[in-house]
Order: sequence, then structure tokens, then C-alpha cells
Amino acid sequence: MISQNSFIPNALKSLLEWRVWLYMGLQDIKARFRRSAIGPLWILINLAMMVLGAGMVYGVLLKQPMEEFLPYLTCGLILWGFLVASFVEGGYAFISSEGYIKQFSFPKQIYLFRVLVSLFIILMIGVVALAGTLLFFDRFNPLGWLYALPGVAILLAAGLGHITLSAYLSARFRDLPHALSGIFQVLFFVTPIMFPVAMLKDRGLDFIYKFNPFYYLVDVIRFPILEGTLAVKQDYMFCAAYLTLLWVVCIALGSKMDKKVVYML
Amino acid sequence: MSDISIILRDASVVFTGQTDLVGRVKNTILRRPSASNTKEYTINALSNVNLTIARGERVGLIGLNGAGKSTLLKVMARIYPTTTGIAQTRGHVCPMFELATGFEMNQSGWDNIKIRALLLGLKPKEIKAKMQEIAEFSELGEFLNYPVRTYSAGMFIRLAFSVSTAINPEVLLLDEVMGAGDINFAHKAKERMKKFMAQGKILVFSSHSPELVSDFCERTIWLEKGKIRMDGKTDQVLKSYADNYQATV
Repeated sequence: MISQNSFIPNALKSLLEWRVWLYMGLQDIKARFRRSAIGPLWILINLAMMVLGAGMVYGVLLKQPMEEFLPYLTCGLILWGFLVASFVEGGYAFISSEGYIKQFSFPKQIYLFRVLVSLFIILMIGVVALAGTLLFFDRFNPLGWLYALPGVAILLAAGLGHITLSAYLSARFRDLPHALSGIFQVLFFVTPIMFPVAMLKDRGLDFIYKFNPFYYLVDVIRFPILEGTLAVKQDYMFCAAYLTLLWVVCIALGSKMDKKVVYML
Repeated sequence: MSDISIILRDASVVFTGQTDLVGRVKNTILRRPSASNTKEYTINALSNVNLTIARGERVGLIGLNGAGKSTLLKVMARIYPTTTGIAQTRGHVCPMFELATGFEMNQSGWDNIKIRALLLGLKPKEIKAKMQEIAEFSELGEFLNYPVRTYSAGMFIRLAFSVSTAINPEVLLLDEVMGAGDINFAHKAKERMKKFMAQGKILVFSSHSPELVSDFCERTIWLEKGKIRMDGKTDQVLKSYADNYQATV
């Protein structure tokens, strides 16, 4: 039945179809590396090159101790990768599933979850690398990982929100994913990933991270893993505010566009 | 919950769009009136369609190309929401529309079978049980191990057809899917199709073949320019349809 506002019921229905989107997301990862000899190892190799390359240069430039800076950088990079992909790859969620959307009567939201699954798997591969880095520097703290779990839940909720936002808007405005990847290149340099937060504070540049939601999304995971305690309370409050805002926008947008998307593909 | 049925009340579908989106954006930015150099189009694909199809009915859809047959089927399948009016379909829908699209090109035939079966609403257990049968019917043999980008057009159709007809549908919606594959397969497909269509508790299918329509359907709907021109007993509708176009030829 097609009711006036079908977005929320359809989204819940999609959630229950976890078998479908889980399988499709897993297959996407498999397909991505199907004809490559070492497959997902590339994720690790690319990450290692980035961490070593950028880590050496920036670590020396910024006069950072390597045993602190490299884990910090690794953690920041994998989380940042997830955030960027949630916008950029999220933009293709509906576009690349066009053949299915026009052919099967499934609620479209399964294609949003499908993207989230593959992004999460890539994130997890990165997490393995992070654990390795921490062990190497003898800074692995199991308790910290436990404290990072609320942050992971926040990141996933935000990721799904970004995918939703980007998927609906990109179906209408096809230039959006291209624009977003450019915007995120800029954001990368104003988010504390390659440099520690303390450096901004020292130079009175607090505003650069204080109003940057991506900083908080990164920090609620990075801080507990590196420091072994929960992040500061304000971080969680800021994340909660951001998530609320994000999801209000998503629900409004989804409700408005859900019935139109199929005609835009 | 009431019984399996399809109900449309004043259902309309309007396609709108611009042939020149860049021009439109420019106009918005420069605050020029939009009509000056862009082409906006609207197509009334369906206008005020009213119909009720109850459990057990088999309905044929006829009409010229562009009459709205596919659009109507997609509305019934809950793929196209109506622009105005109401469309309700109760029951598990099995659509069979574009057999040649919706594949994961880099994944194997087996993987694609599984994805399509999941999207048709099969549970993983049922898929496991039916996998072998689907594979055999498709006659794709070892090609199933290869990525589907190596397939020919006919092989795509064979794969999709084999999956779609392996399920047990309540509401079966078909869009011109007869005659899939080569001469061997087409014959087999026809036989299977007949069995499959007999299973559906509701069957709606579009076709340009009067024989098929009269073989399967007691009721036929004739669409013309997005409107129902005639809805009634198959032999009467087919006769009027033939008379109408014979006269103009």
C-alpha cells in the first residue's frame, strides 16, 4: 500500500530485510576486489603508505613523537575515510541500484543500508591495521576500545544519515557527489586528522574544530582508543545535537522525496 | 488484513523533467524566467485510472506502444508511486519487467541468482533449496561461474527468467516477457510460463499477442494514451481493439 508518507514505514521495513542488504553489501566488497590478486590487502597497503609517508613528514614538521603521532594519524585517517565515503559513495546509493529499483518492489532504503554495510567492512579492515599499529608501539589498551563503542554507534548513525542525505539529493542533482569529494578535500585540512588538536588550541585557532561536526565524530572514537578513557562530555553532547539535526533533515528530505526518486533515475 | 487485490482510484502518473537542466540552473542563478531557453516537458503517462482486480482474476493489458501498459504495471508493483489518486496492491508481488537490467556485472551468475531471488522476497533457505533447479533451467552451465559481464543479451534474459519463475507468487505482473532466449529456450520458457501464470493468485500481463491474452485472461483492459479505453471480457475487448486499428490501417 502506498500511503501519503511512506518514508518511515519503508525505512523500518527495509531494516527488517537485513538479509538482503547485508548480502548485497558483502557482495559489493567481494566484487570490488574480485580480479585483484591481493584484494582487500590494498586497503591496508594504501593506508600504510599514507600513514608512513604523511606521518614521517608531518611528524617531523610538527615535532610530534612518532609513537603517539602514527597511531593518532592511522585512527584519524580510517575514520575520515568512512566519513567521506558516507557522503560520496552514499550519493551513488540509488543511482547505482537503478536497475533494481525499477524492477523490484522492495523499499528503496535497502540500498542505503547496502552502502553502509560495505563502508563498515572497509572501516573494520582499517581497524585491524589500527590495532596492529597500536600493538607495535605497545599502546594497545583493550579498555579504551570498549570506551570507543558508544562512538562507533554514533559514527554509524551519522554515516547512515549522510548516506541518506547524499543519496536522495544526488538522485536529483547528479553533480553533488563530484562537488562533495572536492569539499571534503578542503575539510580534510581543517579537521584535526593530520595535526593534533592541541596545536590549534595553542595558536588560538580553536574555532577550526569547535564548530566542525566531523571533528567530534572522529574524536568520540579516536580519543577513547588512544587515551583509554571516554571522550569529554561536550563531545558526546555535540554529537547528539548533530545527529538530531541530521536525522530531522533526513526524515524531512526522505518524506518529501521518497516517492519521487524512482522518476529521477 | 483483507484479501489479495489491486485497487486503483483516479490514479494518475505524470512524468516531468527538463531537457536542459544546466540552462535551468543558470536561469535560477541569473533570475531569468525559466521558460526563456529551457524545455520543460510533462507526460501524462496515466490519467485517472480506476480499476479493481480481485483474487483469482487474470487480466490482460493491451494497447499501442506508449499507451501506459508498463507504467500501469509498475504502479501496481508499487515501483511507481501515483502522482495523484490512490493505488493499493495487497499481496506478495512478483514483477517481471526488464529482464535485461539490474545485474551486478562483476559478480558471478550464482551471485546474481541469489541477489535477484532475495529481491523477489525469497528467504535464504528457500534460495538454497531452489538454486540447483534455477541453474538447471537456465542451461547456463559453467557460465554461472563467470562474471555476468561475459554474458550475451540472451543469457541475461535466461538467468533472470529462470529466477523469477522459480518463486511462488501471489500477485504476478508481467511486461512482455514471452519469447525469452533462443529457439530452444523460448519453447521451454513458454511451457514454464504457462505453469507459472497458473500459480499466480492474481495475474496481470501486457502483451501484443492476442492469442496469449485470450489463452490466459477472462478480462482484458485496453489502454490508450494513459487512459482506460475499454475494460471487459477478453473476446469483446480484443475484437473492438482489432476493429479500431484495422479501420485506421
